[in-house]
Amino acid sequence: MSNDRLFVLPGETIDPSLIPSHPKNPLRLGPGLRHIPPSDIVPTVAGQLITNPVKNFMSIEYNSTHYIPSQGDIILAQILRSTTDFYLCSLAPYTAPATLPHLAFESATKKTRPILSPGQLVYARVSLANAHMDPELECVHASTGKADGLGPITGPGCVFDVSLGFARRLLMARAVEDGGVGVLDMLGGEEGGGLAFETAVGRNGRVWVGSDNPKTVVIVGRALQETDRSRLGMERQRRLVKKLVREMRWRD
Amino acid sequence: MPLDTSTYNLALLRVDGRRWNELRRVHAQIRTQAAADGSSYLEMGHTKVMCVVTGPSEPGPRRGTGGGGAGGGGAAAGAGAKAEVVVSIVIAGFSSVDRKRHGRGDKRTLELQSTVANALAASLHTHLFPHSQVNISLHVLSQDGSLLAALINAATLACVDAGIPMTDYVAACTAGSTSTYAANDEGADPLLDLNHQEEQELPGLTVATLGESDRVVVLVCESRVQVSRLEGMLAVGVDGCKQVREILDRVVREKGRRMVQEGTVEKGIGLNEMDVD
Amino acid sequence: MPREAEPSLNEKQFVIQALQENLRLDGRELDQYRPLELSFGDQYGLADVKLGKTRVLAKATAEVTVPYTDRPLDGIFTIATELGPMTSPAFEVNRPTETEVLLSRLLEKTVRRSGALDTESLCLVAGQKCWSVRVDVHVLSHDGNLIDASCLAVVAALRHFRKPDTSMEAGVLTVYTPAEREPVPLSWLHSPFCVTWSFFGEEGEIAVLDATWIEEQVRVGSCTVSLNKHGEICQIAKLGGTPVEAVALLQCVSVSLTKVKEFSDLLDRKLAEDLKRRDKGGFMAELRAENDR
Repeated sequence: MSNDRLFVLPGETIDPSLIPSHPKNPLRLGPGLRHIPPSDIVPTVAGQLITNPVKNFMSIEYNSTHYIPSQGDIILAQILRSTTDFYLCSLAPYTAPATLPHLAFESATKKTRPILSPGQLVYARVSLANAHMDPELECVHASTGKADGLGPITGPGCVFDVSLGFARRLLMARAVEDGGVGVLDMLGGEEGGGLAFETAVGRNGRVWVGSDNPKTVVIVGRALQETDRSRLGMERQRRLVKKLVREMRWRD
Repeated sequence: MPLDTSTYNLALLRVDGRRWNELRRVHAQIRTQAAADGSSYLEMGHTKVMCVVTGPSEPGPRRGTGGGGAGGGGAAAGAGAKAEVVVSIVIAGFSSVDRKRHGRGDKRTLELQSTVANALAASLHTHLFPHSQVNISLHVLSQDGSLLAALINAATLACVDAGIPMTDYVAACTAGSTSTYAANDEGADPLLDLNHQEEQELPGLTVATLGESDRVVVLVCESRVQVSRLEGMLAVGVDGCKQVREILDRVVREKGRRMVQEGTVEKGIGLNEMDVD
Repeated sequence: MPREAEPSLNEKQFVIQALQENLRLDGRELDQYRPLELSFGDQYGLADVKLGKTRVLAKATAEVTVPYTDRPLDGIFTIATELGPMTSPAFEVNRPTETEVLLSRLLEKTVRRSGALDTESLCLVAGQKCWSVRVDVHVLSHDGNLIDASCLAVVAALRHFRKPDTSMEAGVLTVYTPAEREPVPLSWLHSPFCVTWSFFGEEGEIAVLDATWIEEQVRVGSCTVSLNKHGEICQIAKLGGTPVEAVALLQCVSVSLTKVKEFSDLLDRKLAEDLKRRDKGGFMAELRAENDR
C-alpha cells in the first residue's frame, strides 16, 4: 500500500482540502467516519484515510478483530440452528446471531429450499444491517434471483481465521496491486507449482480454502495466516510460499 | 500402619489373605429401586455403591456447572445431537473411617463425576437420543478402596437395567504393585483389586475397559510409580476388568432369567431366539 | 453466559481427514510441540510460558501462617488456577467450569501429591508457624493444551522462587528481608511435567501431542501423563472418552518420557540463564559505586 495516505486518529479534524468535492455526486462516507452537522467530518477510529474523488467517497482503512456487519458485506456464516422461517447463523464468535431466511437461496421455494444442518458454512451477503437489530443475510441477489457464487459451502476444505483488514485486502478487486496480497496468486502460479484450490473470503475475517488435496489446503491456509500475522510484503510472501511448498514436498 | 510387605514375600498372601491375582467378593444386584428407570447395587469387598438412572429424558433446567456432563455436543449440549450424560455422586459421611463432610463442590467428587460420565458416554449410544439427558446418580455407602471402579461398574449395571442401548459393558477394577516407588525393586509383583489399606500404601491404578476387548476407556493413576511397572500393572488390571465383566454379565443374565421365571416379562415376542439364560 | 464458539462442520471434518493423512493444520508432525517459550520475571517466582498462542503465567508467593491442626509439622502448599473471561468469554469469574476443575485437579496431583515440594521443610515452629506457599496460575490466552503449559509454568515458577531466609534463636523467629540475607530456594525434590495426548479416529487410533484448541474440540479422547526425568510416573489421567488399545497407551507413556526429558533440560537451561543474568558478580560487585545508569 502506498505510504502517502494520511493516518488519522479518532476525533482529529480532517483537513477540508482532503475531503473530496464532486460537483454532482453526494459525498459518501465509509466505515470509520462520522458526519456531525452542519459540516464536520470526524474519524471515529485510527487508520489510513482513503478518499476517492471520482466516486466522491471517503473511508478509513483500519484493522480490527471485532466484526460489525454492514450492508452488502460478503461474509462466511456458520449455521447455528433452524427455526420455522429462517436459519440462525453466527458471523463471529460471541456475537448476536444473524438471520438467513429459508427462501433466500437461488430458486428456493417452500419445497426445494436447501436443508442445512447446524455447523454448516454458508457464503452469504448481509442484506440488512441496522444498529440494535440482528443482521439479515441472503444467498441470492434480490433483483436478479441469481446466487452469484453465494450459497452453502460443500466439498473438502477448511476455514482459517484472519484479521478483518486482511480479509478486506483479499476482497479488493485488485488484491495484488492495491491490497498487497499476492500469496494466492503465487500459490496458484509458478512459485507454488500451480496448486489447485478455491477460496471464499468473508469480510468477517474468515477464509475458506477448498481443495481435494488436504496438503494444498494446509499450505494455502498457513500462507494466508502467516502473511496476515507477520504483515509480509510482496517479496517475503514469495519466499514464504516457496518455503511452505518445499516443506510439504519434503514430507512426501 | 505400614503394610507389612515382608509377610507378603514369605507367604505371597496379602493383608486380607488374597493372592496377587484375586478379586474381592463382588456382589451386585440390578433393579433394586422399582420407581427408577434403572438401578443397581454393587459391592466390591467393603466398597458399597448404589446407582439410579433416569432417562433418557428431556433435559431439565440447566444447572450452572455442577455434575460432570459429557457426550452432548460439547458446550452446545442444549442443541446437541446426542444425549448428555449427567452424573452426580453423593459420598455419604459415614462411608469411610474418618467421618468427613464431602461438599458437592468438592473437586475430587467433580472429577469422579466427570470421569464416570465420560466413561459411560463412550459406550452408550447417545446419538440415538438427541436433545435429551441421561441422569446417573450414584451414592457411596461404604468405602474400602477401588471407589472409582465400583462407581463405573454400578453405573454400567444401572444403564443396562434402564435399557439404554450401549456397545458393551464398561467394566473397571484396580491394580497395584507390591512395593512403593522408592524401592527400585524389579521383582515387585503386580496386585489385583486394591483395598483401602493397600491403596494408601502402594502405587496403583484404576482401569476400565470396554467389553472383552483390550481397549481402555479409563486409566487413572494417582501415585508415584516407575514407568517400567506400568506395563505389568496395566496387564493385570485389564485382565481383572475381563473378570469383572463376566461377573456383571452373570448378574444381568441371572436377573433376566428370574424375571422370565417369575413371569414379570414374558419370554415370547421377539425374545424367542434370544439366549436369556 | 456466552457459549463457547464451536467449529463449523467443514472444519471438524477437515481436521479429522487431515489427521488421517498425518497432516495438521499448522503443518506440525503428530508428535511435535508448538514452539515453546519460557521466560522469568524480574521478581522471583514469576514464570511465563508460551506454547504457540497459548500463554500461561504462574506466580509463586509465600507467607508465614499457622499450620493446619491435623498436620502440625507440614507447611501449606496450594495451587490456585483461574480461568476467567480473559481466557475465553465462555469462562466466568467464580464459577468453575469442568475444564477448570480438571485442570486444577491434574496440577494438584502432578505437583502436590507427587511430593515435588518438600512440605516438611516449610515448617518453622511445629504447630505454630509455617510457610504457606501459593502458586497462582493465570491462563492469559487459550489455544489448546492448557494442561501441559500450566504444569510447566507452575514447576518453573516454584523452582525459580526464593523465599525469605529465616532463623530461630531462643524461641524468636526472625524473617530476613532480601537486603539482609539472600532469599533461599524451596526444597525441591523432583520436577514433574505433564504430557497430554489427544486421540482421534473411530477407534482412537491416531494419537496427537499438543493439540490446538480446534483439535481439542474435535478429539474423541485424551490422556494426560505426568512424569519426571527419572522415569517415575506421577499421575496418569485418561478420564473416559473413546476406548484406546492398552498397547497404544503404553507406547504413549514411553514417548512422553522423552518429551519430559526435553522439558526438564529446557527448564534447567532457562534457570541457569536466569541465574547468570541476575548474578552481578557477588558481594564485591554490589559494593562498587558504579551502576548501570
